[in-house]
Amino acid sequence: MAMTKSTAGTLAHAAPLHGRPHELFNALRGIARELRADKLGAFGTMILLVLVIVAIAAPALAPYDPAAQSLADRLLPPAWLAGGSPAHWLGTDHLGRDVLSRTIHGARVSLLVGVAVVALAGTFGTVLGLVAGYFGGRADTIIMRAVDIQVAFPALLLALIILTVVKPTPGTLVIVLAANGWMVYARLVRGVVLSSRQSLYVEAAEIVGCRPLRVIFRHVLPNLTSPLVTLATLEFARIVLAEAALSFLGLGVQPPATSWGLDVAAGKNYIFDAWWLVTVPGTAIALTVLSINLVASWIRIATDPRERQKRFARGAAVSEMGA
Amino acid sequence: MKVGLRMARRAVVLACAGASMWALAAGATRAQEIVIALGSEPTTLDPQIRQDGGERAVNDNIYEALIFRTPKGELVPGLAAEMPRLLDPTTWQFRLRAGVKFHNGEPFTADAVVASIARMLDPAVRSENLSYFSTLVRAEKVDDLTVNVVTKAPDSVFLSRMYWLKIIPPQHARSPGFATQPVGTGPYRLVEWVRGERVVLAANPDYWGAKPGVQRVTYRFVSEIGTRLSGLLAREFDIISNLQPEYVKRAPKIGRVPALEVPVVIPNAISGVTADARVRLALNLAVDKKAIAEKLFGGFASVSDGQFISATWFGHDPTINAYPYDPAKARALLKEAGAGGAAIELVGTAGRWLKDRETVEAIAAYWQAVGLKVDVKILEFDGYLKRLFDRQSRPQAIYVSHANPLLHADRTLSDYYHEKGRGSSNKDAELAALIERARSETDPAKQAEIYHMVMKRAHEQAYFVTLVGIDVLYGLSQRMDWTPGVDGKFLAKDMKVTR
Amino acid sequence: MSAGFLLRRLGHGIVVVLGVTIVVFIVTRMVGDPVRVMLPIDASDEQRQAFAHHLGLDRPLPAQFADFFAKLARFDFGESLWQRRPAIDIVLERLPATLELVLVGMALALLLAIPLGVIAALRPGRGWDRATVSLSLLGLSLPQFWLGLLLIILFAVEWGLLPTSGRGTPGHLILPALTLALPATGRLAMIARSSMIDELNQPYVQTAIAKGLPLRRVVGLHALRNAANPVLTLAGWELIRSLAGYAVVVETVFAWPGLGYVAIQAIQRQDLVLLQTVVFVVAIMVVAINLAMDLVYKAIDPRIQLE
Repeated sequence: MAMTKSTAGTLAHAAPLHGRPHELFNALRGIARELRADKLGAFGTMILLVLVIVAIAAPALAPYDPAAQSLADRLLPPAWLAGGSPAHWLGTDHLGRDVLSRTIHGARVSLLVGVAVVALAGTFGTVLGLVAGYFGGRADTIIMRAVDIQVAFPALLLALIILTVVKPTPGTLVIVLAANGWMVYARLVRGVVLSSRQSLYVEAAEIVGCRPLRVIFRHVLPNLTSPLVTLATLEFARIVLAEAALSFLGLGVQPPATSWGLDVAAGKNYIFDAWWLVTVPGTAIALTVLSINLVASWIRIATDPRERQKRFARGAAVSEMGA
Repeated sequence: MKVGLRMARRAVVLACAGASMWALAAGATRAQEIVIALGSEPTTLDPQIRQDGGERAVNDNIYEALIFRTPKGELVPGLAAEMPRLLDPTTWQFRLRAGVKFHNGEPFTADAVVASIARMLDPAVRSENLSYFSTLVRAEKVDDLTVNVVTKAPDSVFLSRMYWLKIIPPQHARSPGFATQPVGTGPYRLVEWVRGERVVLAANPDYWGAKPGVQRVTYRFVSEIGTRLSGLLAREFDIISNLQPEYVKRAPKIGRVPALEVPVVIPNAISGVTADARVRLALNLAVDKKAIAEKLFGGFASVSDGQFISATWFGHDPTINAYPYDPAKARALLKEAGAGGAAIELVGTAGRWLKDRETVEAIAAYWQAVGLKVDVKILEFDGYLKRLFDRQSRPQAIYVSHANPLLHADRTLSDYYHEKGRGSSNKDAELAALIERARSETDPAKQAEIYHMVMKRAHEQAYFVTLVGIDVLYGLSQRMDWTPGVDGKFLAKDMKVTR
Repeated sequence: MSAGFLLRRLGHGIVVVLGVTIVVFIVTRMVGDPVRVMLPIDASDEQRQAFAHHLGLDRPLPAQFADFFAKLARFDFGESLWQRRPAIDIVLERLPATLELVLVGMALALLLAIPLGVIAALRPGRGWDRATVSLSLLGLSLPQFWLGLLLIILFAVEWGLLPTSGRGTPGHLILPALTLALPATGRLAMIARSSMIDELNQPYVQTAIAKGLPLRRVVGLHALRNAANPVLTLAGWELIRSLAGYAVVVETVFAWPGLGYVAIQAIQRQDLVLLQTVVFVVAIMVVAINLAMDLVYKAIDPRIQLE
């Protein structure tokens, strides 16, 4: 992790903001420039922004209560198909519930669970990683041994057992997923802390007699920002998929609550009569995860000079030879 | 790169084609060979131990009972040469069919009957089917082809019990491999059981009865109905179990067993507002049974005629009519009973029976429409069972669904009509006395008469909010020709493949 | 490679398995009442009590715990509540199906990902590279349960090329293995591309090319070997994650009779004995894979110092 303030890309500049307006402006302009250079990244960011807005404003945007059943309007196709009704743009499911409303509310669950897990696991893992990396010694040994052991756990199967026994609610789901996800943060943070402690300015700060917490917050954390943001984004994508998979297996979000995974599970029994029931929530999951991944890869490229090189360098010597 | 892509595509198509040829060669769709997809794999092929639908679907073709049931539901002699005679009120004498052999060559004699009953009753065997045979004491061999079966008390359900009791080979049943190597007298014998994948049966060339048309039966196990349906549409399967009403129009053909499963709501006739018979009648009148059958079950259910048993079961009274749908009268009755706008708790569960939750919610909506305040409690199955069988305090109204493999009213009556039944909610000593009288009446005609009195009384008192009888549906491939019998058993000897 | 290293790793593995066992025990004994759910709806109270006694569920927790470990030490996991035969027999019957699926799936992923990644790395930023990156991102963003359903609709129902579900012929394996492989292919191709670009920019590769060595030999002999390490690390991870997670989903979608499918069936039937046996056996395999991976690194790249 050879990342210092001077070599990191614009995002790293943006990270340790001290509130001066022209710096903020410059940083935003830098981000905009990066996004123009990376069309896929821009696409992902846009989709993600839309999703966040949809999730926040779900009750206002959704035309119906996502749980409202109407046996008379079962399995209506989307509005543009024969038999569709303009009252239900994306059709209705096997209980006559509005697919568009369910998909909109599903965004809430997916993003909320994702954010909560990332926040919980990220905080926990970062704190432990900082402790392990900064103080070393016995704390380091114990924490890293715990990480090693937990990494070797059959995580998803254990999650299945736990969710079978404690009734799955969004809360338990977040806790179980976070308990399986904190280790990566601890490893990453410890690594960065170890390497940045060796850098001159941290050594200098310690010699001058700064207190450990101050050293961590002033000098170590800024170095962590961009790798942590990249990791958290990737983990976010993974969690959205994991929540969908658990809900699909019937061990995640429970009816009458909604979740994209749950809707695919319910819709899979109707794939021949009502293809939209799996297609709509399935596409929503794929699009969400894809845009998160695009954003993650853009952040990584934008902040890591070596990655920038990989994108822009044409493989210098190699391309001259011809494959 | 284009060339590469094209080659890759060609390789994929070739690989797929090759693999599907292999699948065909493995014999999925040849004439007189059928594939049945079940929702669950048998846990054992021991015919006596488990209550297990997968096991029965296979073993009903391998093993046979003394009494058979015709597709229309009549009980007829099976391995018995004729219907049994009653020697005294508790002893039935069977004459056995001569010359029948088990698949391993063991002869079928009185010893097999004695061994089958002894093993079923043996506490060490821990059979889950024991409750069907709890009235039996023992079987005694008279001679090789004559056997007496002794019951504890006069037993009116005896013939149905004998239809449910599979006869096992006395020698082989003692071998440790019995649970995986079934050996019966039936029209099919086991070829192989590859756990997790398939069970294969082949026609028994030495079968004593009419030779079956279908020569080979393969069972596959696919728990998801959507996946089973995909297999049916892809012509991998010829029969799929438990087709849901929504998919009927997708399946090339269907098989239909009318009203095998009967859901009902039991109102508390002991205490609370529902102790008043007028309120219970109002609860019945408020529900549009026809709409539930049409909308919820897609027409594959029939309105129950005011009884908590199906029309195909012994004891059913055909002269009773369904409670009409009359919300106005329901309101009037509630008002008359001083229960207008009363609060009612309705307990149900989700995911255990076909559309259980939806049914409870629909009923709640109908009750609400006549002015009641309905508090729907959908409980985990665990908690639900505690409420259902709580003898101390009965829930005010509880949903339950009931199937009766013996197709005989006795079990339903003992459990839900009799005041001391596990799930009953009435204190009607007169009704209980009738039920007990019926149980020891061995003349079927007289017994039916008593049952009809029970049904009429329960109907007048509206002890149940009767709903619909749900059909069991099977998806069939285009080439299958099969009409399942009233008991819904997968009997391959009744199946035909047309070309 | 010292014996000490092996022993340390083995000890570490035992700690993991013990940890899993304890977690599983604590979690499963918190369940409400398996007896009530397992027995038929009309079982009598005596039957229920006898059943609880049979399972040892009527004894105090510490006694159950001691019993649990004593039996585990003898590889006795108890009788499956659902199937009424030793749970370990069921798990061992299902194990080959899962291994077949996971190993074929991962082999497929590696076979697809390495050429894709390497070719992309030869000309970064060009068309093939951009296509690889985009497709990889798409592949790793697809939910597997959904991908599986789409493949069933297309290949099995619409085109009738492959069976919809189950196991038996090689044809049955194609769709589940592909579903398992595709997201892994995306991740592996990205890593293969990235580490290959790193290697190709190393001075020694540049020198070799300048000397006029044919590109194929340079790529094949030197760069690929050095770039293999991150790819193999990730492949090991993918193998573990497939075994302990993704396979559950894929097997459920395709009714593939492996450990994941049986785990879901055990959950539906509240068969905790069987479920904990599955978890235990998978934990042992995860530990074994980790150990094997350590050894493979060492064999491939002697520069690696283990501990």
